[in-house]
Amino acid sequence: MEFNEYLVIAMFLTFIGFLFTGFPIAWVLGGVACIFTLVGYLSDLWFGTWTGLDYLTLGMSVNRIFKFMDNWVLVALPMFIFMGLMLDRSGIAEGLMRSMQSLFGKVRGGLAVTVTTIGIILAASTGIIGASVVLLGLLSLPAMLKQGYSKTLALGTIAGSGTLGILIPPSIMLVIMADQLGLSVGDLFMGAVLPGVILGLLYISYILIYSMIRPEVAPLDPDRKPIELRMLWDVFKHILPPAALIVAVLGSIFAGITTPTEASGVGALGATILAAVNKRLNWKVVVEVTKACFNTTAYIFAIFLGATCFALVLRSLGGDEFIERILTGIPLGPYGIMVVILIAIFMLGFFLDWIEITLIVLPLIAPVVSNLGFQIEGYGVVENPELVWFVVLIAVSLQTSFLTPPVGFALFYLKGICPPEIELVDIYKGVIPFIILQLIGLIIVILWPQLVIWLPSVAYR
Amino acid sequence: AEKKIMLKVPVCFATVLPGLGTTITYVADRIETMSGGTLRMKVYEPGKLVAPFEILGAVSSGKINAGYSTAGYWAGKIPASPFFTAVPFGPEAGEYLAWLWHGNGMKLYQEMYDSHGYNVKVLVLGIIAPETSGWFKEPVKSANDLNGLRIRFFGLGGQVMEKMGASVSLIPGGEIFPALEKKAIDATEFSMPAIDERLGFYKISKYNYYPGWHQQATVFELLINKDVWNSMSDRQKVVIEELCKAATVDAFAMTEAIQPPVMKKNVEERGVTNMYWSDDMLAKYKAAWEEVAAEQSAKDPYFKKVWDDLSAFREDYKLWQTYGFLPRPEPPNM
Amino acid sequence: MTAEANVEQVPNKFCDVLDKIILSIGHVVMWTNVILIAVIILQVVLRYGFGRGLVVLEELQWHLYAVGIMIGASYAQVLDSHIRVDIIHARLSDKWKMRWDLFGIIFLLLPFIIIIFHQSLDFVYESWRVSERSDAPMGLPARWLIKSVIPISFGMLFVATISRLVRIIASLRRA
Ligand code: NA
Ligand code: NA
Repeated sequence: MEFNEYLVIAMFLTFIGFLFTGFPIAWVLGGVACIFTLVGYLSDLWFGTWTGLDYLTLGMSVNRIFKFMDNWVLVALPMFIFMGLMLDRSGIAEGLMRSMQSLFGKVRGGLAVTVTTIGIILAASTGIIGASVVLLGLLSLPAMLKQGYSKTLALGTIAGSGTLGILIPPSIMLVIMADQLGLSVGDLFMGAVLPGVILGLLYISYILIYSMIRPEVAPLDPDRKPIELRMLWDVFKHILPPAALIVAVLGSIFAGITTPTEASGVGALGATILAAVNKRLNWKVVVEVTKACFNTTAYIFAIFLGATCFALVLRSLGGDEFIERILTGIPLGPYGIMVVILIAIFMLGFFLDWIEITLIVLPLIAPVVSNLGFQIEGYGVVENPELVWFVVLIAVSLQTSFLTPPVGFALFYLKGICPPEIELVDIYKGVIPFIILQLIGLIIVILWPQLVIWLPSVAYR
Repeated sequence: AEKKIMLKVPVCFATVLPGLGTTITYVADRIETMSGGTLRMKVYEPGKLVAPFEILGAVSSGKINAGYSTAGYWAGKIPASPFFTAVPFGPEAGEYLAWLWHGNGMKLYQEMYDSHGYNVKVLVLGIIAPETSGWFKEPVKSANDLNGLRIRFFGLGGQVMEKMGASVSLIPGGEIFPALEKKAIDATEFSMPAIDERLGFYKISKYNYYPGWHQQATVFELLINKDVWNSMSDRQKVVIEELCKAATVDAFAMTEAIQPPVMKKNVEERGVTNMYWSDDMLAKYKAAWEEVAAEQSAKDPYFKKVWDDLSAFREDYKLWQTYGFLPRPEPPNM
Repeated sequence: MTAEANVEQVPNKFCDVLDKIILSIGHVVMWTNVILIAVIILQVVLRYGFGRGLVVLEELQWHLYAVGIMIGASYAQVLDSHIRVDIIHARLSDKWKMRWDLFGIIFLLLPFIIIIFHQSLDFVYESWRVSERSDAPMGLPARWLIKSVIPISFGMLFVATISRLVRIIASLRRA
């Protein structure tokens, strides 16, 4: 091993070490980059190494930061965040909850199915999670507990369904991945639709089967009413607005009418209009959503700032080639290597979130994946089909990272809104089946790559 | 003893693109051997270290010691810079190199960076055969069809298209296909058939226009931080200079060789129609270009200086050009 | 992964003023996102209503977005919403949390801020010197203006960080 490679390893270890001090990840990344520039510089000076790092080289971070600023793909990010936050305030989910709850009243597990369905609808109309988990939890947890649902089933359903938003497009995670790897945002959006829907269906099937086998976990509503036509009409009335939003945003991307960036702006306006129609829009809401959007965008981009600096130093040290060599050196063939990568990402997901993984790890492994030689049919339409497929696999794995303790966004958000008698352990127990379901979904997508590639291929024919 | 120098070279074009990106690898592969191990070159794919449009500033300020790019990418900083990439209705490769290497071209090229305060040494590294003048979704029947068309177009040719009424943007290579796919742009120009093929434009735009009136030849550059250059031994400098010349000629030869099969495949397997601009359209482009050249000359003294010198060189060259060459085959009727 | 302030808000006039300045600027800059919606909609309407997209509007979009994402860093710093891994952190006493933060600010964050700030000055100056404009013929001029957002935002981040540093030191002294 060359000296540089020891530095690469040391850099990763230092990063992980400082990470656990609880100092903000963004600043750990930036700070470690500065420290290792100094280390590289001194080692060139004293030990005659070839790292080529110095104060000026580190200055390239500034040019790299500007590249985030002048980036027309990432403009969609604050817009999708705004859209999600506004939609959460629009009252749409409450309406859906009320109307669908009565419709599914007679089905065992119906309330949990309702929650999952709303989770899917919310997922297809917003690009972020977090707020969705909170919203879903606030809406449905009291109802489920009151009806006598087991705590674990209720909590797992909410956490699982709430995290679908990051996989089902629009999704800020997919926007960032597309930007990092030079893929089409549209291809990734379309590619993630079917895997997302499959996960949703897996959840629903699990809930139905589990509550059939063990009726005590999901008792029926004592006040249930027979289904009337009026109920159907009520559900229809409440599904219409989000459906219109989904058509406006995803539909226009799908039909090639707008770029994802334009669609994100349209979505932000659409969510605002829906809030207005529901009489939820007022100056206070606008200010709060704008503030929250500003703040959320800021902490995501702060990680961009640190990560770009970190990646610069890592690349200068030859970190790219080093990792590529290690990965391609695994004597397991393409599928073996892929599984190793996915397991690694799943493991990283215990400690990091999608932002760091997408910004630091993804660019490192992408060249390896491109060269593994998977023969994925792109139907002559989808560019880099093997990479699109792989990115969606990673997206599914990363979605799991929201649910895996100790660091799981969804778990924390959910804990924040739970009544005090519910402990973090209950939430951990609740999400286990859903993590397993996500792994099953992952295996399905590995076995049938066409689930990813087919939709983008018809969308742009 | 010679100082050991590692040139870290971020590039503007993916190194898989034949002629566009392979030229720098030609140098990187040979530099260590030729310099007796005193020079090494490490190439970084576009955006890995620094983004394409940031290369000049990074090399000049010493953040990185070298970069491979093309001068026209600095048009936002130096209006005259596109002259050293390609000139609409300008010289073909032979004439271009004649001006650069045996006319005042290189002198003006270096002087341009010096006088604009950039601390770089410039070397020609690569020249390629004509480009195609665009991929369109519909045939362009008249100049009217260009009005309001959103097109990606490079350099001085882009200003000509703007004059023709098009809405012109300059998107880096990797982002063009998604933009075209999502209808963010209606048409695009990028490079030669064999290079455009890799970006997949044929899937969406079925009308490929020739001749490349805007880019009869395209020049690429190696930028080296001047302090680094000055610190090199004479041998190291000669090694770099001669390697660049060899790579330049190799790039030209390669790009001349690889176009015909792709053009054929475009038509026979991909449903592309090869179009040739009518004399009328070419005359309109030329008139627009002359307007652009006059306007820019009035605005920027250095632009005028280069334009005057190149025009004078071409005026002299014309005598040789007229008598020395056989007529070309007739262009196809469109 | 939580985002709560883990420094007791010790009253400190100096820091309060700094924080207030950063937050006030943030409360103005945050509207860039709303303006951005308007610009995108205008672009869409122009394109599909009038068959004409404007390069200027496209560039204006990323200009607005860039101002928002960059200035936001200092705002999030004051609100302490930057993402932390708090597996171990959450179990520490307040005193130790503050000690770690002190360490991080001095050895990780401040070097990062100072280096980027210093190096960005040259970056902006270069752009201003050649009066850099957009690469597109009809694009926006004065690129140095948008580039100067880098030193401005890192300057604000510096102010926000100093405020935090002073607060931590004050709290540790008191404890
Ligand atoms: Na979503
Ligand atoms: Na996790």
